[in-house]
Amino acid sequence: MDHKNSEEAALVRRVQARDEMAFREIVERYQSKVFSIIYGILRNRNDAEDISQQVFAKVYFSIRNFDFRSSLLTWIYKITVNECYDYLRKKRVRKLVYESDFSEEDAKRMEASEPAVDASVPADTRLAQRDLIVKLLSKVSEEERSLILMKEVEGHSVEELAEMTGLNENTIKVKLFRTRQKLLKAASRLTRTRVFGKESAGA
Amino acid sequence: MHREIRNHVEDVLAGSKASPGAEHLDQCQECRSEIRGMREHASLLRELRAPAEAEPRPGFYARVLERIEAQGPISIWNLFTESAFGRRIAVASLALALLLGVYVITSERVAEDPLLASQPAQTPLAEQPVVTAEDAPGRLIIQMDQTIDQSVDQLRVDESSPDAVLANLVTYQEQ
Repeated sequence: MDHKNSEEAALVRRVQARDEMAFREIVERYQSKVFSIIYGILRNRNDAEDISQQVFAKVYFSIRNFDFRSSLLTWIYKITVNECYDYLRKKRVRKLVYESDFSEEDAKRMEASEPAVDASVPADTRLAQRDLIVKLLSKVSEEERSLILMKEVEGHSVEELAEMTGLNENTIKVKLFRTRQKLLKAASRLTRTRVFGKESAGA
Repeated sequence: MHREIRNHVEDVLAGSKASPGAEHLDQCQECRSEIRGMREHASLLRELRAPAEAEPRPGFYARVLERIEAQGPISIWNLFTESAFGRRIAVASLALALLLGVYVITSERVAEDPLLASQPAQTPLAEQPVVTAEDAPGRLIIQMDQTIDQSVDQLRVDESSPDAVLANLVTYQEQ
């Protein structure tokens, strides 16, 4: 797909020329997407709101560097995931969800609204699992992180990812495979560290 | 993971029975275990899906504009203040500037101080102790190098007088 000649490209060019109405259109088009990506990772509405604003501020300041090699959504997606991980790194959030951050309303919403979730798994186990996968994702590169999230969280197919990123399907498959392997290795290292830590503490 | 399945991982994870990788999986315990791990991770990743109703509060665009105004345009200085790499470069540059400053100040003081400036850099050749080749061959070589250097310097000074050049050459040969 030619990302240079689409309707979206025309919109981007208007923003690059500092057309405020065009920027507003981009914000309104993607604000829900950006917010839900961040909320999915952090599970905190205030943080999601704050980081979403930061994402669009970054889009505004760096859209001049957008080179039309990928779709605008792919570019915004990368910025969003990077901002999330910057936030996690800066705040040195060891535990993804603190009790104080996690309201009862959020807990009920989580229980009720996630179709992929196994209801038999207790909420604290699920939070620990989410914590684990967020931690594992920090062990892969920015590009790999965005790609695997677009595949598994957003549910895009390999063909769609190829179209969105401007890469060919085989490259996407290889990148996804490498990312999955890195996640497995990171998980195995983490397990070894935990087992070793427990043994050391017990000795 | 074996090559037979490497190119078909996405199909296998998607549950395609017709994939050439599925056949290999039936026979290979190692690949089966790795695929199981990848499936678990895929399932964990899907937990990061936000609820459908996740939306920012009304007035989001106005707050974005406020933030843009507060941050202002990005300047070259943001590179040095916002990124860790930029900060390291800034600190290294400051340290280098400090070192250069100290060097310039101390070297100027030496030049201005008549006592330090008038001190000869080298002990005259005549005052240097004679070292025999048996005692220290390395030191003898160093001494010879110094003698050659001094002779060359003298030749440079006296190059206007052909007689002096000849005399120096004779002295050099004798040494």
